[in-house]
Amino acid sequence: MTTPEGAGAGLPRYPGPAAPRTGGAAVLVRGLRKRFGDKEAVAGIDLEIAAGSLAGLVGPNGAGKTTSLSMMTGLLRPDGGQILINGIDVWEDPPAAKAAIGVVPAEARLFDRLSGEELLEYSGRLRGLPAGQARSRAAQLLDVLDLAGDAKRLVTDYSTGMRKKAALGCALIHNPPVLFLDEPLEGVDPVSGDVIRRLLTRFAESGSTVLFSSHVMELVEQVCDHVSIIDKGAIVATGTIDEVRGGKTLQRAFIDLVGPRATDKEVLSWLGSSSG
Amino acid sequence: MAWLLVRLKLRLLVNALRSSNSAKISFLVSSAFAVLLAVLTFLALAGFRGKATSVELTSVIFTVFAFGWLIAPIMVFGVDGTLDPATLALYPLRTRPLAAGLLAASFTGFWPLANVAGLLGVTVGLASGGLGIVVAVVAVVLQVLFCIALSRFVTTSLASLLRSRRGRDMAAFLIIPLVALYEFFTQVVPKAVSEGTITVASFAGFDSWMRWLPPGLAAHAIADASDGRPGMALARLGALAAVIVVLAWLWVRSLARALVTADTTTQSSRVRGMRLPLAGLGAGGAVAARFWLYQRREPLSLVYWALVAVITAAVSASSVFGTRHHPAVILASAVFGAAFTGIFHSNSAGLTGPAFVLEAASLRHGRDLRAYFAGQNLVLGVIGAPLVVAVCFALAAVAGDPGMGVEATPVVLAGLGAALGLASLFTAALPYPMVKRAGSPVLVAAPGYAAQRIGGTLGTLLGTGVLAAPVIVGAVLAANGPGWIRIGVLLPCATVYGFALAATGVRLAATIAESRMPELCQIALRTVTDG
Repeated sequence: MTTPEGAGAGLPRYPGPAAPRTGGAAVLVRGLRKRFGDKEAVAGIDLEIAAGSLAGLVGPNGAGKTTSLSMMTGLLRPDGGQILINGIDVWEDPPAAKAAIGVVPAEARLFDRLSGEELLEYSGRLRGLPAGQARSRAAQLLDVLDLAGDAKRLVTDYSTGMRKKAALGCALIHNPPVLFLDEPLEGVDPVSGDVIRRLLTRFAESGSTVLFSSHVMELVEQVCDHVSIIDKGAIVATGTIDEVRGGKTLQRAFIDLVGPRATDKEVLSWLGSSSG
Repeated sequence: MAWLLVRLKLRLLVNALRSSNSAKISFLVSSAFAVLLAVLTFLALAGFRGKATSVELTSVIFTVFAFGWLIAPIMVFGVDGTLDPATLALYPLRTRPLAAGLLAASFTGFWPLANVAGLLGVTVGLASGGLGIVVAVVAVVLQVLFCIALSRFVTTSLASLLRSRRGRDMAAFLIIPLVALYEFFTQVVPKAVSEGTITVASFAGFDSWMRWLPPGLAAHAIADASDGRPGMALARLGALAAVIVVLAWLWVRSLARALVTADTTTQSSRVRGMRLPLAGLGAGGAVAARFWLYQRREPLSLVYWALVAVITAAVSASSVFGTRHHPAVILASAVFGAAFTGIFHSNSAGLTGPAFVLEAASLRHGRDLRAYFAGQNLVLGVIGAPLVVAVCFALAAVAGDPGMGVEATPVVLAGLGAALGLASLFTAALPYPMVKRAGSPVLVAAPGYAAQRIGGTLGTLLGTGVLAAPVIVGAVLAANGPGWIRIGVLLPCATVYGFALAATGVRLAATIAESRMPELCQIALRTVTDG
């Protein structure tokens, strides 16, 4: 995989030097590109995430978040660029990279005819854990994720929040050094959201690395130490939370960066109880 | 309200013509079938003219139509938005005008019109004289009204169940008796008719009880009016109308209840406290364990196994039943049964859908992929071999030559090995996304992937036949030899041969899949399993 010259040139990077390196960086992305037909979904992004970080990747719909995460996790072959996970090139040595990561996709499509505990045990055994260890870790994760009471229910009968939590359990059962999550709180109720939030924070505090995409600025602001904003397939800002928001709320900074929409006041003049 | 819902139904039909090419083709094919049904029904009913048993035969056809109206809406619940009261529950609608509107919507479309047009064949086949024809037209309208009221009452009563996961699961199983019935009518009935086992007189007994059912009342009313018994005809029509009124009343009550009854989709079942089996067998054991549970719990898997049994039986049914036996055809059943076990799983990643990504994240090396394919094949073999062998033995017993079951067994084992090896190979080499259309229990190839589907199906079918050919030849040659050759030599040789074919397929598939995992993941992610 080669890095196209000039890709991502001039963009701010964090933390540390701009030159590619692996020392201290759990995730290192250089010049990542992907095109679908005429549309350039990812236009050469650079990203460097230090080990132990809890980093957010935010952007509007269609900005390239899911495509970028899919390429970083070995699910989608990039057109160009390089991705290193703990120094392992994802596309040069996919088996080694897969062993180092856990992934929670945007739509938590799981084996929904398994019960919650069967699903987590299956995930652990697929990852090479002995059956006994897979079972005990599954039980502990279900407990922490507040799913112990529903462990014997089929996943097909789980709510969206429960499915997200089950998917998180599957991604964590082999204790990966790096965890990727795509929209972890999409469609999740506040209670489940809080469980996920606390687990991610605890995971990162132990020295593991988390990178997740989200629309929820409040979540990113609360739990992340770093954030990158992606728009139209390019990183438009990256740094610590304070650096990116520049004295404003992250929500305001985000809207200022990706462009506010035109007001609808004139068009919807009929809307509201004061209208006729 | 009635006109509004009729326009809604018409708009849905017009939109089908304006949507994607596949939807357009599907709509046109469905409409063509509706016209064909109308023409064939009309001709069949008109053809009964002058026959002594015309009223009995008409009763049978009317009853078959009522049965169709009962079953079809349950299977296609998700297709017709007007069938589900929940879609209208948010609007401030009163029950009675809503019921009238839904009734009118039911009459709208090619299929209801095809029903009326086809059943009007009774005006030629059963009715005679002016009064007879007038009664025939009224009887047909009442018969169709009865069918609609019956289907609306049943679907509305079952709406919350059909919307739930369990209800959809149960509806999926309806395809099994329908396929079995189809095979029965295409394989066995023509044979029985040609041999004189089934004649027009065979239906005479049915009429003794069928004449009191609503479809029978309609048919007999026409006969009574044509035979100069107008009072009896009117009494029968009156009884039929009363049944319709009662059904409609029950339907309106059921509709009123359904509009304000909580959804039951969140009700769920618990599994027993069993852990995943096959601990200690590594990744292959884990895949086999998951796959084994899915064969029991997923309706689609159960449907596929039932279809394997039906296809195995159907291939030689026409030769086994009837007077002219050709028991050797059971060997063809053995090949087809084995081949379809593979065909239904010849696109494993696409069939698994987005959940495959969970497995793909763990399938790192060639040995993991070999374990993945081998684990699936182990389960398919453990279920498929006894199932297909049992059906072959049953066919052999019906044919009066139980020895054919013994001869078919090595063919099943070799064929199954070939089919599973080919299924693994096509999974890796020719994957395609699948979609589940509303109302259908099975997944089909996504638009634009028909070639891959045909390639996988024909490749597995033909490949199984070719690879099993040496064992078929062996079975034929050993047919008249001593039993120990069939059981002591052919059976173990075929087992080893089948195992070798499956293992070769697994090895090749793992080699291909290792370099194509991202592409397999993208295919799996594009599968849509919610119809």
